[in-house]
Amino acid sequence: MSSNPVNISIESPLQYFHKLSSHQSKGQRAELFNGDVDFALVVKEAPVCSHLNLRGSAQDQNFVNGISQVLDIALPTEPGTYNCSQEAAIYWLGPDEWMLVSRTEAAELEAALRKVLSGHISIVDVSGGQTLINLRGAEDALQTLLKKSSVYDFAAWSRASKDSGHCTQTTFAKATAVVSNKSDGSFDLIVRRSFADYIALWLLDAGQEFGCRIEG
Amino acid sequence: MLLIHCPHCREDREEEEYSYSGEAHIVRPLEPEALSDEDWGDYLFFRKNPRGIHHEMWYHAVGCRRYFYATRNTLSYEILETYKVGEQPQVRAQGAVQ
Amino acid sequence: MSQINRLNSKGRIDCDSPINFTYNGRQMQGVAGDTLASALLANGVNLVGRSFKYSRPRGIVGHGAEEPNAIMQIGSGAATVPNLKATQVELYEGLESASVNGWPSVNFDLMSITGWFGRMMPPGFYYKTFMYPAKLWMTYEHFIRKAAGLGSAPVQDDPDHYDKLNQHCDLLVVGAGPAGLVAAREAARAGARVIIADEQNEFGGSLLASTNSIDGQPATSWVDELVAELNGFSNVQTLPRSTVFGYYDHNFLGILQRRTDHLGISAASGSRQRLHRVRAKRVILATGAFERPLVFAHNDIPGVMQASSVSTYINRYAVAPGQRMVLFTTNDNAYQTAIDWHRTGRALVAVVDSRPAPNGQIVQEVKDLGILVIAGSAVIEAQGGKRVKRALIAPLNADGTEITGAVQKLVCDLIACSGGWSPAIHLSSHTGAKPVWDQAIIGFKPGKSVQQERSVGACGGTYSLADCIAEGASAGAEAAKLVGCGDGAVHFPMPQVEEYSEQPPQALFLVPHTKATSRAPSQFVDMQLDVSASGIELAVREGFKSVEHIKRYTAMGFGTDQGKLGNINGMAILANALGQSIEQTGTTIFRPSYSPTTFGAIAGADVAGLFDPERYTAVHRWHQQQGAEFEDVGQWKRPWYFPQSGESMQDAVNRECLAVRNSVGILDASTLGKIDIQGPDAAEFITRIYTNSYLKLAPGKCRYGVMLKEDGMIFDDGVCACLGDNHYLMFTTTGGAAGVLAWLELWQQTEWPDLRVYFTSVTDHWTTATITGPNARKVLAQVCDDIDLDQDAFQFMDWRDGTVAGVQARVFRISFTGELSYEINVPAQYGRYLWEALIAAGEEFDITPYGTETMHVLRAEKGFIIVGQDTDGSMTPADMNMDWVVGKNKSFSFIGKRSLQRSDSVRADRKQLVGLKTLDGTQVLPEGAQVVFDPQQAIPMSMQGHVTSSYYSANMGHSIALAVVKGGHSRLGQTVHCPLADGRTIAAEIVSSVFYDPKGERQNVQ
Repeated sequence: MSSNPVNISIESPLQYFHKLSSHQSKGQRAELFNGDVDFALVVKEAPVCSHLNLRGSAQDQNFVNGISQVLDIALPTEPGTYNCSQEAAIYWLGPDEWMLVSRTEAAELEAALRKVLSGHISIVDVSGGQTLINLRGAEDALQTLLKKSSVYDFAAWSRASKDSGHCTQTTFAKATAVVSNKSDGSFDLIVRRSFADYIALWLLDAGQEFGCRIEG
Repeated sequence: MLLIHCPHCREDREEEEYSYSGEAHIVRPLEPEALSDEDWGDYLFFRKNPRGIHHEMWYHAVGCRRYFYATRNTLSYEILETYKVGEQPQVRAQGAVQ
Repeated sequence: MSQINRLNSKGRIDCDSPINFTYNGRQMQGVAGDTLASALLANGVNLVGRSFKYSRPRGIVGHGAEEPNAIMQIGSGAATVPNLKATQVELYEGLESASVNGWPSVNFDLMSITGWFGRMMPPGFYYKTFMYPAKLWMTYEHFIRKAAGLGSAPVQDDPDHYDKLNQHCDLLVVGAGPAGLVAAREAARAGARVIIADEQNEFGGSLLASTNSIDGQPATSWVDELVAELNGFSNVQTLPRSTVFGYYDHNFLGILQRRTDHLGISAASGSRQRLHRVRAKRVILATGAFERPLVFAHNDIPGVMQASSVSTYINRYAVAPGQRMVLFTTNDNAYQTAIDWHRTGRALVAVVDSRPAPNGQIVQEVKDLGILVIAGSAVIEAQGGKRVKRALIAPLNADGTEITGAVQKLVCDLIACSGGWSPAIHLSSHTGAKPVWDQAIIGFKPGKSVQQERSVGACGGTYSLADCIAEGASAGAEAAKLVGCGDGAVHFPMPQVEEYSEQPPQALFLVPHTKATSRAPSQFVDMQLDVSASGIELAVREGFKSVEHIKRYTAMGFGTDQGKLGNINGMAILANALGQSIEQTGTTIFRPSYSPTTFGAIAGADVAGLFDPERYTAVHRWHQQQGAEFEDVGQWKRPWYFPQSGESMQDAVNRECLAVRNSVGILDASTLGKIDIQGPDAAEFITRIYTNSYLKLAPGKCRYGVMLKEDGMIFDDGVCACLGDNHYLMFTTTGGAAGVLAWLELWQQTEWPDLRVYFTSVTDHWTTATITGPNARKVLAQVCDDIDLDQDAFQFMDWRDGTVAGVQARVFRISFTGELSYEINVPAQYGRYLWEALIAAGEEFDITPYGTETMHVLRAEKGFIIVGQDTDGSMTPADMNMDWVVGKNKSFSFIGKRSLQRSDSVRADRKQLVGLKTLDGTQVLPEGAQVVFDPQQAIPMSMQGHVTSSYYSANMGHSIALAVVKGGHSRLGQTVHCPLADGRTIAAEIVSSVFYDPKGERQNVQ
């Protein structure tokens, strides 16, 4: 967030895991990017960005139009889908609830939305409370990792396109996540900050059979 | 492990995404103060617990966060339908009063 | 010892790859492809254990999951696994095996020599003998367990890794025999997502040991082609070494996959076993059938085996488990074993057939080989000690119920038996489908499907190979169509199978003896638990009638083999004793697990550090670096206290408590639940939920509230702030956050959907740093210059937006210590930065980080309750002396209000919150201690209440406690007593629950 004075440091939820891998040495997780180790799975945490929880009625044309006007993305009203642009993505969470992830600064984005939206709506900044991580790798390894982690049937999803795909909020190990698929075959996860350490440890453990590393 | 259709997500989802929330269609009395202790106690504590068709409330806690209703056979665990709050069940026990 | 029983034939083994292993400490050699059982038999070992109750020598009987006797301890040390069936353990280099039964050893068993033990243990022995005196049961149990010897569990941590996969498929095929393989292929070709699982190391089922030919080639070649085709489908998962152990609701099945067990006792890397949790749209059960043993006298002597097992050892493993065989059968099918044995070149003494005039195709073929067939006769007794030496045979009447002639002795060391086949209906039984007796196949078949499944092949009672294949194919096509793939028609030509046409088998569940059953040598029904025919008859004489009761009384079917062999014979014997049909008697219901499943697999990866999520705040690593001790609060790890070097917990807490009251402390309060509430009806909604009103709360203001369940009992509490028009922030307790959010959603969604309000959890978004103490304002002033911190400008229960250490923050002036306090909230990515900025700003005031223990002491000094500690779901606000928080004049009857007027809620003797001051101020009451009025009262004393919170207060210089005491509010000044478990009694005075600063003046720091 560009307006901050330079001496203010921020921490992403997975900050302390960047550069860690599933390969262990003497019980410690070795910090390594050794060229001769193959990692079939890579977990990459996105830079800190804006996460806004949106509430409103999908039947309210003013709400639907206002969102697409500000974001240049259509509000996904089909359950279990998301729409995205280069700048932002909107995930369907429930019949009147969406998650907006954007590179635009949260307060600025909220102000822009509130300017065009009216009536019974809610916009809540939850940027500090969650993080977006991308899982990429060999398809078999990815599917196995997801099968280990969640009861949801991700294999039933059709491939995502550049500007839309599937998403679902479901269990992830003993925590929860919003999982979505991307056009490059990888998956995005939105996880809560307080569970991030647990999720990171889980991913390293579950991905160990394929080799798994975490990047920032 | 039940497989439950969420009427909002429009998918069959695993039981562990849901939490059970008790009997459905219990309406809170509009004027609690007008009720006797006994009538208020009936509302508070007494539930049907039928053998067979049961209308119950579920919460899609790890999903869309919506409450909805399900008609379940408590003998076979078969879920005969799920429907949204505000809707009425299509399947009822024989002799049930609408 | 060499492999004296190894044949020169090929089978499915590789004789050029020897494998060394040990059995009971002896070095032995087998070959690749062997099971432990086939290797032991190859080495001439047949005595593999002692029976559970009578300690009789027992040998290998079967070749798969049905094996009751060859129960082994595999490996040693941390990775040892007890109670594996030797018939299912694949041999690997260095395998260590030992019998689990037999003490001190299998060959010299103390129990059998003394002999008394067995005679002492008729059915119901436990119930009859060990009921009284109850306190001696532990002693008895220890002795019985040692004598029974059911293996030993490792005492060290399991070194292996386990995991679970959540699978979804259109079709799960259970069993990869001919029917299952063909079913999977049909469905796969139609495009369905298929999983096919089989417990054996390779697919093929019974065909792996078959001499049949299919389409003119050996059956195993046909299998190899089919398996290769299945492996080529991207929509098929093939799972060998995978046991489907349970069939649960809504087509949910559990599969245990043994991934590395065949390579060594402990996995080098990856998971040793994997649990597949499968949700299948359709299931095809193709689990085959078990051969039924024949029940005759001393049928448990090593050397009595299942006929199909003898064939399997010969054809699949190139092992002949004996020198001289007698085949005893009731059916045509088992004649194949005579042909197979004949091919080994070893002596075949005779085929003894219970039927008066067997004349099927295969019978004739056996006769043509010059083999003696003795019709209308039965083996009525085996003789021998640790190995069969003779078979006694006698002619039978046509019904098989009486002996009609002289007994004759046949010298042999192997009696292969076949009483026909019993479908493996276990999984269909798990679903609740009631098994149906079919007299035509003399067995129970799966009942009417209650889930989306179908049984095909032998498990459905179809025994002809050609019929099994046809059934499998049509079931596969049908299943695919039902999930929207294909047209339901079979598109494959059926293979040509050469089979004998068979004559009907005879039903023979108990072979008569020259003596009555009760006098005859034991005729065993369940080998593993030593249940004999006479035991079942005795149970009936004692009055048992229900098959389920008999099962529990005799323990029939209770072993690790779950009665796979013995059940049908047992039920038939029971039916006969009751004078009714098998149909009337019915069968016991099989339940999961089909075969034993390891705890490791059930736990999966959810162990050690991943057992339960640990939730951390954004400041967690700072706390760790400061050496904080942590306390579990729900799933959160919260700093408990921050010990400095040499400090005890009490020292640290005393120091932290004094620091807050005398200067300033800092607490990480980020774990408190936080819910953002927006909407035009937000104020009305939360006023219905809380006991007090929020209709007039202005922006910039906070209010403390309590929420009740509809029964009037306190459920959660916290501060709620008005952030703006129609916008509120609700704080909840740390543990109550998720429950409160669900509670708000419940009422809004189901009862008051007309109220326009949205709730969003923001717990994780905010880091909350609480600075508290007389110097709190001075600390905050160092890092905040855009909020007017003046006592009158920023009052108690106000909140302000501002910049703290350069970060946009929300500052709440609320207090849980009674001191001047600011709760500073910033988005969590700034959490650690803010925290360290505050620590730096507070340096000159010696700012002291404190944990939950100090927080508890400080709030208890002020008499502030903690929901869930001082309340337990049975406390009203009045009980907590908090009537002030209940809005009596609210127009809407808020949640729980009506219940506060219930007669039970207004009783004078309800437990009420009070303070307790021990007469001796150095004594700290244990939390949970019971409160009595009369310490001299005889036990059982009348409990008058209990201590809910108790601490030593360094600020007060004595201990303090909160308690709930019956009628406590009117008992101030009275002395009560807390009798402790160690016999001491501590006396305390009932005092106000507010110990410190009762007027609340410490907030008013200028």
